[in-house]
Amino acid sequence: MTEAVLLEGVTKRFGRFTAVEDFSMRLPAGQVLGFLGPNGAGKTTTLRMVMSIIYPDAGRLSVLGHSKTLEVKDRIGYLPEERGLYRKMTVQETLEYFGRLKGLSGRRLQERVATVLERIGLSQWRGKRVEALSKGMSQKLQFVTAILHEPELLILDEPFSGLDPLNVDLLERLIAERRQAGAAVIFSTHQLNQAERLCDRIVLINRGRKIIDGTVAEVRAGFSTRIVVLDAVGDLSALARHPGVVEARVTAGHARLELADGTDPQEVLRQAVQVARVTRFEVQRPDLQEIFVRLVGRDHAPTDHSPGARS
Amino acid sequence: MNKVLTVARREFIATVRTKAFLLTVVLMPAVIVAAIYGGQAVERAAREETKALRRIAVWDRAGQVYEQLQAQVAAHNRQRPNQPFELESVSGEDSAAVEAELARRVRLGDIYGYVIITPQAVTGDSGAVLARQDNQLEIGKRIESWIREAIIDARLLRVGIDPQQIAALRLQPVPVLARDVTTGTTLGDDKQVARFLTPFAFMFLMFMGTFGIAQGLLTTLIEEKGSRIAEVLLSAVSPTQLLAGKIIGMVGVGFVLLAAWGGVALLVAQRYHLAEVVTGYRLTLAALYFVPGFLLTASLMAAIGSACNELREAQSMVFPLSLINALPLIFWLYLAEHPDAPLSVALSYVPPIIPFVMILRVCADPATPWWQVVSTLAWLWVCVWATMWAAGKVFRVGVLMYGKPPSPLELLRWVRYS
Repeated sequence: MTEAVLLEGVTKRFGRFTAVEDFSMRLPAGQVLGFLGPNGAGKTTTLRMVMSIIYPDAGRLSVLGHSKTLEVKDRIGYLPEERGLYRKMTVQETLEYFGRLKGLSGRRLQERVATVLERIGLSQWRGKRVEALSKGMSQKLQFVTAILHEPELLILDEPFSGLDPLNVDLLERLIAERRQAGAAVIFSTHQLNQAERLCDRIVLINRGRKIIDGTVAEVRAGFSTRIVVLDAVGDLSALARHPGVVEARVTAGHARLELADGTDPQEVLRQAVQVARVTRFEVQRPDLQEIFVRLVGRDHAPTDHSPGARS
Repeated sequence: MNKVLTVARREFIATVRTKAFLLTVVLMPAVIVAAIYGGQAVERAAREETKALRRIAVWDRAGQVYEQLQAQVAAHNRQRPNQPFELESVSGEDSAAVEAELARRVRLGDIYGYVIITPQAVTGDSGAVLARQDNQLEIGKRIESWIREAIIDARLLRVGIDPQQIAALRLQPVPVLARDVTTGTTLGDDKQVARFLTPFAFMFLMFMGTFGIAQGLLTTLIEEKGSRIAEVLLSAVSPTQLLAGKIIGMVGVGFVLLAAWGGVALLVAQRYHLAEVVTGYRLTLAALYFVPGFLLTASLMAAIGSACNELREAQSMVFPLSLINALPLIFWLYLAEHPDAPLSVALSYVPPIIPFVMILRVCADPATPWWQVVSTLAWLWVCVWATMWAAGKVFRVGVLMYGKPPSPLELLRWVRYS
């Protein structure tokens, strides 16, 4: 399988501030990569390097087989986190403009514009100015400007923020179509349940450094900690004081317990049965949310105003 | 290059399509016409204003001037019957008491003012006195000139010369014809005014063309940055392509503007037989200076626009630039009257204002040395190259940076590390 994106030991500094340090990752074609990390972790800086908006100070970078990504810009689609379109242009003009910038022209451009408008149900709006669209419509329009030219690499920065469930569903389907067509997709997100559902691979970045890289299953398996979930009739709060419990979230009739290494879940169950009538007992691997919180943690306090960073 | 042109085309269409642009095309010539003819209209209005009869008390202690003063006032009243004056002769013994009484009458509004003429005023050893109700400059000068003329007439009479005869001789017209050296035609008075104002009109149009449009560039850049369009654009084109496209688009807008205004100027010039003031040579020079001048200002504005997040921030950064740019507007009269003075030549080499200063000088004096035209153009292009290079670097960093605007020092650092 060919690598759509390959980063090796990439470092980017802004003055004395290091935004990304010794960062490596690979993304094969036809896969979806979840790019996770708290605000200011270096996600946007990394994505901008992949798109050759900015250049790394050190390390090697290859996108769609080219080290000079400027040459392959036409084969990349990008949706930034904060959306922007020219308010005074019509829907049709907007798509034509971005299509031309991505190397489409002539009949092919017209066909693609008609196809994507049809796909997102905005055909009747083609002559309307962008400022006349509702928020949901302009978000859909923005999204299709990124896939208009059928890119081989699709980079989506928080693609679902602010969308209603129907449009989330539509976008997920459009993303799935691109992936099926063999495109690689990177999408950065805070919504970890979505990442779990959509991504083949996960990369977690914090303070410019990679913390995790792997498939969702691998990442979860890598955490030996186990979670015990209990539903019961009765008071479970005594379980929080069990010596093998590292962290507990107990509400009336429900407990979610994180166990220390070497603690036997059966032992916890035995104690639970003594204090309440257990209706459900399940041993889980931690989900991404917990891994994220655990790794990025409470000590995290990002502050930076350097170029390339969002404030 | 294709992408640069795509960006340029959009910028061009988006700008030309706005109402603001149409207004600029139409309004700016109107503003110039108003500026030229407005002054005359204001003056005419002042002349046509009707005023009640104003009385001036005259204590002619020399005894030879009152009559002459009467003649002056009579001449004025014939010329401006709507603003008449009247003289009243007063006399007395105690000069302090007489003047106190006159001052009291002025304060009461009984008389407009008073004049005291001593014998020493006629000999030139001392001055005459004029006191009046208000401080209106123009009328004060007028009365002063009456007094001066009346005293001179009194002196002429004293040595036996008839002032009437002198006045008649002075009134005989002495025409001097102004001849244009390029066309050999003779210019009338009105044409001389046009000839004098043409350099200003040329400069002003170029000035408004450059800064009006560059200001537009600044505004759209800040908008694009604020709405994050810049980021989407940069995923398709490089910062250099984006910057180049924007500036080329705006140069196109500037050309449309100049073509419209220049066309109007040519038409007007032919209509009023002023072909010698709006020549092809001047229009060509205007275009030659406009392009690099515009590129220079536009890249400065692009750098500033990309570094700021709000128009307000940008305006405070543009301020020092505006100060320099105001120089040709402040000095235009001097530049037009002394096109070859050292200051004029020196100002011709101050980068952002080279086009305006040079067009003023060339229009004011067609014999401006050719080597100055060539060297200023060359120097201007060097500055354009340096500015675009630095602006490109600032743009590359700035257009994706949000947060507080950078200090000038930080801007320099951006130029270094991008």
